[in-house]
Amino acid sequence: MADSVAPPSRSRDLDKLLLRNGNLVGPNFEPGAELRDDLQEYARILVVGAGGLGCELLKDLALSGFKNIDVIDMDRIEVTNLNRQFLFRVEDVGKPKAEVAAKRVMERVSGVNIVPHFCRIEDKEIPFYNDFNIIVLGLDSIEARSYINSVACSFLGAVSHLLLGYLEYDSDDKPREETIKPMVDGGTEGFKGHARLIMPGVTPCFECTIWLFPPQVKFPLCTLAETPRTAAHCIEYAHLIKWDEVHSGKAFDPDDPEHMKWVYDKAVKRAELFGIPGVTYSLTQGVVKNIIPAIASTNAIISAACALETLKIASGCSKTLANYLTYNGVAGLHIKVTEFVKDKDCLVCGPGVLIELDASVTLEKVTCLVVFINLLEDHPKLLLSKASVSHRGKNLYMQAPPVLEEMTRSNLSLPLYELMDKVAKDTIHVTGTTSKDGKKSSCLRKLRVVFKAIDGVTDMDTAGGA
Amino acid sequence: MAEPKIKYDRQLRIWGEQGQAALEKASICLLNCGPTGSETLKNLVLGGIGSITVIDGSKVVLGDLGNNFMLDESCVGESKAKSVCAFLQELNDAVKAKFIEEYPEALIKTNPSFFSQFTLVVATQLVEDSMVKLDKICREANVMLIFARSYGLTGLVRISVKEHTVIESKPDHFLDDLRLNNPWPELRKFAETIDINVQDPVAHKHTPYVVILLKVAEEWAKSHQGSLPSTREEKREFKELLKSKTIAFDEDNYKEAVEASFKVFSSRGISQDLKQIIDDSQAEVSSNSSNYWVMMAALKDFIASESGGEAPLEGSIPDMTSSTEHYVNLQKIYQAKAEADFLSIEQRVRNILKKLGREPESISKATIKSFCRNARKLKVCRYRLIEDEFSNPSITELQKYLTDEDYSLAKQILAMSPVKSEIYIVAVGFYILLRATDRFAANYNCFPGEFEGPLDEDISRLKTTAVGVLSDLGCNGSTVTEDLINEMCRFGAAELHAVAAFIGGIASQEVIKVFFFFFSFLFNT
Amino acid sequence: MEESSNDDDTIGTMIRLFKVKEKQKENSLANGGRPPVKKQTAGELRLNKDIAELNLPQTCTIEFPNGKDDLMNFEVSVKPDEGYYRDGKFLFTFQVPPMYPHEPPKVFHPNIDLEGSVCLNVLREDWKPVLNINTIIYGLTHLFTEPNPEDPLNHEAAKLLRDNPYEFESNVRFAMEGGRVGNTWYARCIENPYD
Repeated sequence: MADSVAPPSRSRDLDKLLLRNGNLVGPNFEPGAELRDDLQEYARILVVGAGGLGCELLKDLALSGFKNIDVIDMDRIEVTNLNRQFLFRVEDVGKPKAEVAAKRVMERVSGVNIVPHFCRIEDKEIPFYNDFNIIVLGLDSIEARSYINSVACSFLGAVSHLLLGYLEYDSDDKPREETIKPMVDGGTEGFKGHARLIMPGVTPCFECTIWLFPPQVKFPLCTLAETPRTAAHCIEYAHLIKWDEVHSGKAFDPDDPEHMKWVYDKAVKRAELFGIPGVTYSLTQGVVKNIIPAIASTNAIISAACALETLKIASGCSKTLANYLTYNGVAGLHIKVTEFVKDKDCLVCGPGVLIELDASVTLEKVTCLVVFINLLEDHPKLLLSKASVSHRGKNLYMQAPPVLEEMTRSNLSLPLYELMDKVAKDTIHVTGTTSKDGKKSSCLRKLRVVFKAIDGVTDMDTAGGA
Repeated sequence: MAEPKIKYDRQLRIWGEQGQAALEKASICLLNCGPTGSETLKNLVLGGIGSITVIDGSKVVLGDLGNNFMLDESCVGESKAKSVCAFLQELNDAVKAKFIEEYPEALIKTNPSFFSQFTLVVATQLVEDSMVKLDKICREANVMLIFARSYGLTGLVRISVKEHTVIESKPDHFLDDLRLNNPWPELRKFAETIDINVQDPVAHKHTPYVVILLKVAEEWAKSHQGSLPSTREEKREFKELLKSKTIAFDEDNYKEAVEASFKVFSSRGISQDLKQIIDDSQAEVSSNSSNYWVMMAALKDFIASESGGEAPLEGSIPDMTSSTEHYVNLQKIYQAKAEADFLSIEQRVRNILKKLGREPESISKATIKSFCRNARKLKVCRYRLIEDEFSNPSITELQKYLTDEDYSLAKQILAMSPVKSEIYIVAVGFYILLRATDRFAANYNCFPGEFEGPLDEDISRLKTTAVGVLSDLGCNGSTVTEDLINEMCRFGAAELHAVAAFIGGIASQEVIKVFFFFFSFLFNT
Repeated sequence: MEESSNDDDTIGTMIRLFKVKEKQKENSLANGGRPPVKKQTAGELRLNKDIAELNLPQTCTIEFPNGKDDLMNFEVSVKPDEGYYRDGKFLFTFQVPPMYPHEPPKVFHPNIDLEGSVCLNVLREDWKPVLNINTIIYGLTHLFTEPNPEDPLNHEAAKLLRDNPYEFESNVRFAMEGGRVGNTWYARCIENPYD
């Protein structure tokens, strides 16, 4: 049998990995035809972004054994996309990226189903994201990454995917495995890029390592106004100062060529006035729109790394990346893998401090907010005095400034259970002063509040499975 | 057709119109158009490469549809080269695309002169024997060659170029060229016109740090028998002296001056790297020397006989806190000096060309200018023949790979399972094993684990082969782990799409870097 | 939980989990879920802390026009009690971006530079995530007590402050009463004691 030839199959190459056992595989790897079929049938992947990385990701995932893929992107195709976003043609310019990308991949790879969503990521309800098993990010903005990260982390510890807000962690503050929403994130700039694996609650989330993304340096307005020296200074002067001065109230639209031309003309004049060389139309666009140079090859490399990680997480066919890969092709070629550690107190992915309140007093006035706030002062893990409390975007009590204190004061005498919309288990956030080793410092903490033995809580536990 | 300038905007911002022109002139030959080859070309076609020729002798089978995006159901039974070529052409109609239905191994054997028509050959999924042959052919014909190979979860990219001369290496961080340690007369004169002790606080905090450093260095030299700070203590004192000149707490220009003070202390003259290049025997030019070496000879003469040991000035200055007027004037002084240095080198280039009996104007002004502007960053990379590497490996080098994590990273192998702390060892192990699989294939007519059935026999055969490879390399004591050998057999020569896209991505990026004669690239040892 | 979570190495091979979930979803679709809840971003939480810890100088007051649950938009009014601008009342609008404190807040004022951009280095190049709203408000009050004659946006005012502080002071008083200085008309920003 050693040299028998396999019957023709699309899965010829992938089968080697999915059907054979190996020594460097993930935990509980169970090779076999069922694994391959389950990947096709049950794994649902969301690709966020249908740009340079997104196009590559859709192709790579479709050819890595996944059949149920969704893609979300709010942008339309532009001419400048065509040097790398290979699913688009000149005649597609102006059409929604998500729709064209989905269509092109489905035309080429039969059996794959890609559902496009032409909208902003914020337009989708939170449960939309919980329908996917893995979220793969091909984005170019920190803000969008941070948003998806917070959504994915919000599922952590939720007993059932439909019952957000009911939290369950084990005794070591580890979330239930079934509530972990893995994210694979890629990013590129010129010849450089990164690929990372985020397992909320296990590996650092985006917010734990936000410092990896340095804030964009902005020129001081004073330099723009008084002592411009470079072409970029002249351009930003026209863009940030001169535009508003002349077009009172009219917002600058970077995608309007007339607006861009106006800024360019003004920048040229200013540069002439000061004898500064180098203002070009291309540079004007680059500075105003903060254009990041992009090439096909880097996107291909990073997306491939992300797709491979997605396959590894889902199938266990090989050990996963731990947990951050950087690629630098500028001088020579450097691939580096760094294992970052999560911030245990992270407000987004951390479990928070568990506070259990006794049912016998829960419904009484004694567990009104003011009593709860006093309780935090004595809690051994917190020792938090002068706490302000917020719950899902609502400020229950603010110690300062006086105007907010006044607005929230009446809550102090209300039961916490009612203030938390009668949810038996939920997350709240507190800020205040804590003292450690006699030193006082301000802190912001996440708390997991559980009202013990409230009717329904025990039922929920069993309903949630496990 | 879209306006190319707009279509290519995002890449023009990296390599400029000159780079784009070089790309559009290039003609590339691809050997084997499986996913690794197809993905390599996809990225190059999108960027607007001049022409591609796809060579593959196989017909498309169902299994190919599972790993190659440049094929669809209608292609089954057709020539793979033809099918892939058609889909690649769809990506960019500005690219000239053609195909030849023939097996690369046959072409290498029967028609070696075929390859001399291309600027560069991308050879994918070739085994050792063909690689060695093709390498010699291309070296002979002076054609650049890049090997790319995907194998299960591992892969390899390797460049083979006789000599790669780099003008614009565009390193990430490179010190600006302010010449504060060796100012020329015009710069000194300019500094003299500015009073850094000016009373007006606005003028005081808008004196550029270049002027501050020049003046304070001069003051220092006067009180130290003409020498600049050299010991740690002197450097500290120099910084204190700088700080003592501030008149307000928020003078950013003085903060910049303190931070940049090392530019005053740094040693004069050219770097060791550049010295090594100008001392290369190639810099003794003859009538068939390349333009690069002609310019190098001119540079060598300039450094020896005119500039007092300095490279030509780059001419640009970084942004710094300054009044507009001072800044613009400084810019002009630096530009004027760079222009003068350029003219002097240009004159030398013309003279050398004339002496060699070549057309004095045959090297363009723009090229010489670019050469001068990048003089401090010039690079020359030379590569051994693959055969030499295989038959005569540097054992110390290999041992180093097996032990030193960071160094092994630069080796040609990229493990696709970068588990922290395992990545490097896995990587080097796979390098050995990839060579062992090729030997295995030569002996047994198939790759280990290529066909269905139990792997045990292949595993033990591969193990024996790997031991042979290691001992041929002179690493008798070293072994490759059981786990890796197992994995290699499990891979069974599978070409996974994601791995192919990764390897193809790297190969295409290296192609671009080779073309532009800037960016130093993969294996610049 | 399954036997998998023996140590911290729980990553990998999630397909069985996906399968169970997918089946669960089919069974439980009829149950309906809780309505989606509003999430707080990391930026909002951090801002919450900044606000709860605010320690405003005597000369400043803060208002939240959208009520107690929208802290991302607020107004700070500064009423300097010394310097050229004493007794004037200056209203600043703060817009805090979702990526706070990774990005600094935007602060507007109708007549500091004529266009409303406030020239405060901590709002642009010197912003660091460890700074907070308090730092910015102190920076703002500083603008009035010690106007910066060197790098201001309002070129003419700055020049005048350098060259002729007396005339500068009179212009300031005049402008604050509401009136024309040069070609620019200024809204009154001194409260009428009789109002």
